[in-house]
Amino acid sequence: MLIVLILAIPALLAAGALVINKKVFGIINSLGYLAVLTASAVLLKETLLADSACTYFGFIYLDALSAFFIFVISIVSFAAALYSIGYIKKDMEKGLMTKKKARIYYALFNLFCFSMFFVPAMNNLGMLWVAIEMTTLISAFLVGFYNTKESVEAAWKYIIICSVGIIFALLGTILFSYAYSLSGGVKSLNWSLLAASAGKMDKNILKVAFIFILVGYGTKAGLAPMHTWLPDAHSQAVAPISALLSGVLLKTALYAILRFGIIVIKGVGFSYFGNLMILLGLISLGLSACFILVQKDLKRLLAYSSIEHVGIISVGLGLGAPLAMAGALLHVLNHAVVKSFMFFGAGDIVSAYQKHNMNAIRGVIKALPFTGIMLLLGVFALTGFPPFSIFISEILIIIAAFTNGSYLIAGLLLFFLAIIFGAFIYHFGEMLFGNLPKGMKAAGTPLSAKLAFLFLFFQMCAVGFVLVFIKKDLLWIVQKLFQL
Amino acid sequence: MQAMILFGVLVSTYLMVIAKRTPALIRSFRYQSFCLFLATLIIALQEHELDLYIIAGLLFVLKVVLIPYFLNRIIKRIKANENLGLLINPQLSLLWALGFTYLSWVFTRHFLAAAQLAGGSILAIAFFVVFAGIFLMIFRMTALAQIIGLLIMENGLFLVASAVSGGMPFFVEIAIFFDVFVSVLIMGFFVYRINKLFTHIDVNKLSRLKG
Repeated sequence: MLIVLILAIPALLAAGALVINKKVFGIINSLGYLAVLTASAVLLKETLLADSACTYFGFIYLDALSAFFIFVISIVSFAAALYSIGYIKKDMEKGLMTKKKARIYYALFNLFCFSMFFVPAMNNLGMLWVAIEMTTLISAFLVGFYNTKESVEAAWKYIIICSVGIIFALLGTILFSYAYSLSGGVKSLNWSLLAASAGKMDKNILKVAFIFILVGYGTKAGLAPMHTWLPDAHSQAVAPISALLSGVLLKTALYAILRFGIIVIKGVGFSYFGNLMILLGLISLGLSACFILVQKDLKRLLAYSSIEHVGIISVGLGLGAPLAMAGALLHVLNHAVVKSFMFFGAGDIVSAYQKHNMNAIRGVIKALPFTGIMLLLGVFALTGFPPFSIFISEILIIIAAFTNGSYLIAGLLLFFLAIIFGAFIYHFGEMLFGNLPKGMKAAGTPLSAKLAFLFLFFQMCAVGFVLVFIKKDLLWIVQKLFQL
Repeated sequence: MQAMILFGVLVSTYLMVIAKRTPALIRSFRYQSFCLFLATLIIALQEHELDLYIIAGLLFVLKVVLIPYFLNRIIKRIKANENLGLLINPQLSLLWALGFTYLSWVFTRHFLAAAQLAGGSILAIAFFVVFAGIFLMIFRMTALAQIIGLLIMENGLFLVASAVSGGMPFFVEIAIFFDVFVSVLIMGFFVYRINKLFTHIDVNKLSRLKG
């Protein structure tokens, strides 16, 4: 019943944010998410060791794959809760946020996390859809939170484009249930039932339905060419929320694609699923490489980098070898950790310089010594330098591509990664070093933000080091996750 | 009777495509939702299922009464220009719509093996409604038209679901109704904000964020 705990804590905290009118609420909030993190780690361990998935009332379905995604969400939401303490305090001191707005912020933050925790736990594919739509509706408020022209525009685009996308996903879901009812099943949308009778379903309907799913949830996952809302929304949101959006919201949509993907793999065969994922992944990589190269806005740069990493994940999933699958799933975790790390850094920079434009940001290491050094390490982690975790997951995918004989895919992947690496080093080199603009004084990083940075930094180093030694177990875990 | 109602859905959709002003669009949306309500009610009467009565009731309350009322209220409160801002004129839009009708018929025939299905024509009309919704979202410029476009797409999906599998499971259907209602409220809230900050609701002019 750990899942009840994981869902109940954010719900209680959301209510608490409106009732408790104390300065210490930020700390209570973080402690709550620490508890969630512990619970989800235990849940992950339990589901990995269990022989079969556990279901409650046919409504909640938990196997290792869902537990893994819940674990990823809980890591980032804990870090974001920690980081929020200092960030909101600073905003209130500057007068960007009133006391009442800060309470609304915490309530929305918790509701947002609550809706995200729901997604991986759902067995019913219709409820999965409802949960994902809920994440959009709640986070739209957090995107438009500062109520400026830019942020409201971003929120509008976000809510409209994602809602249209997700309507296609609902269409796909209906077609899946149609295929299931043709194969002789009762009226149901339960994933466990659909997956069990995937082999008997009509192949053509499954193919058409999966296209709709891919377009629909792909919009939410930020796969190009349906990504247009993403840079706007991620760059305008409050900094801790940008981390949640980039780090885990995209992954919940990927989770939905994967769930349907498993049915399609069983029903139609792997190559159909694989080719589509690789195609969309490579388009995302190429497109984001172009935009990263010419980008002027710091937070948009990071947003495009999220599109890139979602692309890498989908290429990894599309390659299909267990090694590539392992890489892709690890990348889900690693990207979540590193990208939220980077967005926290960007949040500090933006609140110190009051600007998003990278040409006006110089000498970050002098202005914000702690954040600057963390960002310097973070850039190398994000672009895939050893010994950080992203290096491991990327190299797994590339090795799998070469051993599969897909040289073209591996070549394109490496080519785009090299471009993006160069662009990132250039942009961040300019920003981190150089002379301070006139009138800027060195400022400190709040303690809570430091803790958040160190927590994530520990994760990205630890995963990088540990995985080298337990590769065999890793493959076992992946087989367990996909029930191959 | 079924055929009459379907015809009603089709005609109301054409009316929406050629509408020039927002109130007319909302009125046609109301007709369309009413047709869906009638269709559900008839099936409910035939099969005597409590679930279907509840769904029909919700459909009536939300889509025929509350949502159109709410949208009309927004128009009055923000005193916005009632023109929809057509990027394509009504005649040409109608031609597009006829094209979509044909395409969705072809789509159902070829891809979904609907020939064996009694509800083949329902399915074709349902897909057409979804297409018409997308069309309105792209080629009408106000924020309100985009909200209505979304609602039309949702109506189309309701038809698809009832054509292919006799509707979705009961509690999923309820959850989706709730979801649609909440999303309309939230989008309406953002329309107010856009109007306040930009003093218009022309989404084509929302172009501050680029690159």
